[in-house]
Amino acid sequence: MDIRKLGMPTTAVSMVLILLTIPMALFYAPLPQTSVSAAGEILSYIDGYEIRVAGFVTSYSVEEPTTFGPPTQHSFLLADFVDFERYEEASSQDRLDETWWTIEPLSVTFPSGGQFASQSVSISNGTNVSVFGLLTSDADGYSLHASTQSIRVGTSSAEFEITSAPLAQKIFYFHMPAAWISYVALFVTLAFSVVYLKTRRPAHDRIAYCAAELGVLFATMAILTGPIWAKEEWGVYWRWDDTKLVTTFVLWLVYMGYIMLRTAIVDPTVRARVSAVYGILGFITVPMSLLSSRIAPLMRSSHPQVIASSSGSLSPEAGLTIGIAVVAFTFLFATMLIKRVEIAESEDELEELKRSIGGED
Amino acid sequence: MRPAIAIASKDLRVELRSKEMLGAMFLFSLLIVLAFRFAFSEALDSGAADIASLASSALWICFTFAAIVGMNSSFAKEKDRETLEGLLLCPVERSTIFVGKVLSNLALVFMIDLLSILFFGLFFAYDYGGQALAVVGIALLGTLTLVTAGTLIAAMSVNSKAREVLLPILLIPLVAFSVIIPSVALTNAALSGDLSGILRDVASIAGFAVIFGAAGYLVFEYVVEG
Repeated sequence: MDIRKLGMPTTAVSMVLILLTIPMALFYAPLPQTSVSAAGEILSYIDGYEIRVAGFVTSYSVEEPTTFGPPTQHSFLLADFVDFERYEEASSQDRLDETWWTIEPLSVTFPSGGQFASQSVSISNGTNVSVFGLLTSDADGYSLHASTQSIRVGTSSAEFEITSAPLAQKIFYFHMPAAWISYVALFVTLAFSVVYLKTRRPAHDRIAYCAAELGVLFATMAILTGPIWAKEEWGVYWRWDDTKLVTTFVLWLVYMGYIMLRTAIVDPTVRARVSAVYGILGFITVPMSLLSSRIAPLMRSSHPQVIASSSGSLSPEAGLTIGIAVVAFTFLFATMLIKRVEIAESEDELEELKRSIGGED
Repeated sequence: MRPAIAIASKDLRVELRSKEMLGAMFLFSLLIVLAFRFAFSEALDSGAADIASLASSALWICFTFAAIVGMNSSFAKEKDRETLEGLLLCPVERSTIFVGKVLSNLALVFMIDLLSILFFGLFFAYDYGGQALAVVGIALLGTLTLVTAGTLIAAMSVNSKAREVLLPILLIPLVAFSVIIPSVALTNAALSGDLSGILRDVASIAGFAVIFGAAGYLVFEYVVEG
């Protein structure tokens, strides 16, 4: 069967699915609720649109009024949420000290007794944290009433949820499939590089090359969409202390090198042979990037883990949306690969014809 | 192993007779250390930069670029003098040639590493104290991984039009995580005298040496055939 005939149907399927993904991502998929339980003293909240808290409470204290002292004050430390796992690990091993957080915890103090208070602080290098409202106490603990919503400042273990950067989060439905497809594409390059070295058929080399090109394209997409979200969530576009970001960037560089290598070698058989070897060697960066946050925590990683987290951080609706997005991108990749291989075939044919009439390259 | 050593010793003998690359690499590493000295002179004089924290990064930048200069020539020279065909006609496995080339490159680059460590100590008036041996050991380990990957890529890039540019473009991303980051961390640990958590980095560099070595051993014949 001629694979080229698949071009049209895959184009149609991928277009339909991508058009479906956009409204689903925007309107259907809810914002992810990151749930963390047993954080010791926990700050939880009910609705996160007004009050954005990018952290969790690490310590909580109430200062009783003394004769000459200040009125009752409720103070708690807010630490950057990205550090929660390290915090938990450190606290379970009882070595909780000043060194476990990346961002200095923010001290928030509220006077109690019906006074309205507001604290809005921007953590350097991190997210904006604003806490404002009225602190009252009841039987369960303390409640912070802020305009229409309320934050509960519990004194026992409880569920803790945060939502931040609501709209920027939607980019995830394009970021993650693009990253995923780039891994798939580079795997195709690896497979066809190996096959080429066995069979020596130019067709296999063409597929390896075209897949690498698309891999770079999709990796570029992932690298460019990531910072849009990161700016909202982390406050910076790029973090050099994040393994995932750095390994993906290195992957991109390796395959840019692969493309450079191909353009620098004139003889087509030498080019195919040498680039097949580099296609195999360079693949080492793919598992490094894919599993960076788990197998090689050389540095800290605050990149959200999607595949790794089984604790249900994705709701079924979000799961469905991301599933459709991945399928859409897979079809898109298949379409582009078929078309790109066709173009490469024509290019090679043209070279062949030029050579046969004795023309220059 | 004997044929590999024979090939390596042939390379080294040629090098010691002509001293072409040795001279170039010697001057090159000297110049990088000097460039660092000039670039950081203000920061060092004013006390804004601390030599110990500068040392590991400066040394590894020096090692990496000197290695690139050295490895480029290992195949380029053979190609230009048309001795590559002769080498390939040797009645040994192609992978043996790869091992031989890795050994000769390792010897050359390691020699330059030692000189760079010396120059750095001289120009920055830096006393390695009792850590000199550890720094040299880390240099040897990191250079082994660097050279294993570099030799394979040098054999690849020698076929291209832009081989001098291509070697660093292809090599640096591959060794960024496998050599440079852990080696700098190790050297830092060694210089600060705290060798407690080094096993992971040592294992990581050695592991990548095995990966690159195995890959080179298996695919080298495809790189040089024809």
